[in-house]
Amino acid sequence: MAVIELNNVQKVYGKGAAKVVALKDINFKADEGDVVLIMGPSGAGKSTFLTIAGSLQKPTSGQVIVGGEDISHLSTKQSNNLRLTRIGFVLQAYNLVPFLKVKEQFQLVDRVKKDNNISLVVLKKLLRRLKISDLVNKYPNELSGGQQQRVAIARALYANPEIILADEPTASLDSENVDEVGQLFKELAKDYHKAVILVTHDPRLKKYADYIYEMMDGKIVNNRQ
Amino acid sequence: MFLAIKEIKREKLRYGLIILMIFLISYLIFILSSLAVGLASQNTQALESWDIRQVVLNKNANVNMSQSVLNETDLKHANLTKDEALLGQTPVVAKSKNRPQVSAQFIGIKKAQFIYQDQEIIAGRKANNSSEVVVDQAFKVKGYQLGDYLQLNNSKKKYQIVGFAKDAKINIAPIIFGTLATWKTLRQGMPNMQASAIMSRRADYRNNHGNNQTYTIKYFINKLPGYTAQNMTFQLMISFLFGISLIIIAVFLYILTMQKMHNFAVMRAQGIPSATLIKATISQALMLVIIGVILGLLAMTLTAKLLPAAVPMSFTPEIVLSGTIGMMITGLIGSLIPIRSILKVDPVKAIGE
Repeated sequence: MAVIELNNVQKVYGKGAAKVVALKDINFKADEGDVVLIMGPSGAGKSTFLTIAGSLQKPTSGQVIVGGEDISHLSTKQSNNLRLTRIGFVLQAYNLVPFLKVKEQFQLVDRVKKDNNISLVVLKKLLRRLKISDLVNKYPNELSGGQQQRVAIARALYANPEIILADEPTASLDSENVDEVGQLFKELAKDYHKAVILVTHDPRLKKYADYIYEMMDGKIVNNRQ
Repeated sequence: MFLAIKEIKREKLRYGLIILMIFLISYLIFILSSLAVGLASQNTQALESWDIRQVVLNKNANVNMSQSVLNETDLKHANLTKDEALLGQTPVVAKSKNRPQVSAQFIGIKKAQFIYQDQEIIAGRKANNSSEVVVDQAFKVKGYQLGDYLQLNNSKKKYQIVGFAKDAKINIAPIIFGTLATWKTLRQGMPNMQASAIMSRRADYRNNHGNNQTYTIKYFINKLPGYTAQNMTFQLMISFLFGISLIIIAVFLYILTMQKMHNFAVMRAQGIPSATLIKATISQALMLVIIGVILGLLAMTLTAKLLPAAVPMSFTPEIVLSGTIGMMITGLIGSLIPIRSILKVDPVKAIGE
């Protein structure tokens, strides 16, 4: 069974002459251990796809199924809880809380989600693997772009979600860091059994993907392994 | 609380400036409240120490005790018990050799009645005859001592200070306690005058015969010259200060919240509930107010210690409590204004920015 599945999803904004169809008949699925790339030019509907897959907004029609449960009609509170427990977001640069030290980013998760976060031992191992163990007492603005991105990945994994959704995760990184982050996502998907969905227009990430979905004008136009 | 504390610790300058403003406002509120209470108390402290409930004056005196005169006829139906006392009041200027002149209120009382009997003497003793007086401690502050002889107005007669009384002020002037006989001499008015007023400790005491009119102590105090105007001026200033602090707290929190909208959107996208963000905002506002008010209290305590006794300031626990609660409520209301914006944070905004 797929960890996340979108069936005939459509998203329409506005009405009448102002009507914009942002997503058309989207069918998509990802399983644990998969790294899936959603690619396409600006305006293709990648971000809308991400917000619907991440339960940040509801589709106009169609189904979004996470772990066998249809999440298309959840209340705000239920969506919140879903994002907190089952979906980890890695957003673009500056997505860490600026006034919290690295270790406090994890403490914030502990305060709102008491159970099923990864253990301290696993966290230490993860931080070592991400090469950020010695940065725990630093604030985000004291870190480089690559370091911030790795902290954001650790933070997303800390709540132990089934799905990692990343929005342009390499947008502010140089080539060396892109490879490092790409490799990291691949390893994390395999070792931690997560479905990793990367929304990007960065072709350098293609070599790390198990599946690539290409979007154009709100539709998936190409789907290849 | 976690987010609130962490943010204040990280943004020390920004929040330090807000705390500074709250501190200055609360300090000013405490100073004005202390002055208001101090001045009000100097108008009424003698009346309060006597525990008066009703005051009988001449109805033509416009509720002004020093203008009121009650004669023998007026007192015919007075029915005085142990809870009533006759009192004569007149303004005087007291002088003594090598001492500064003091504008005071002479209060003539009867030895057999409760005002004399309940007098709290902090030094010396009570007056025993018409040549002796007990004066308010303000005379002591001005250098007067026990045994000094006072001349009142242009009178040649001298009165010896035999005691200093506690809390003996009326109309912001220190009281000189003497006898009703001395009051009659100083007042020099109508024949047969017996007193300015009848003071009663009984709430049900009434005497409205002839020229007499009975007033409640509350009404009488509010009619003291300048008392209501002075209190209203202070109340207006304190209300404005609370209003200003409300605006400052609300505006600052609103601006700070607007600056943090992206952070809030990111946190909302990550599943942090709105309630957590709202609690953080409210607790942050309360923390800023509490720190500001504590600093204000410390500064006020220091000021109260350093100010000379002549400044009519009364820094009481009631002022501490009401000022602190007032500021807390102000902070709470101020923090509610940005909450609407927090509730409307759209987590979708965190994507693609």
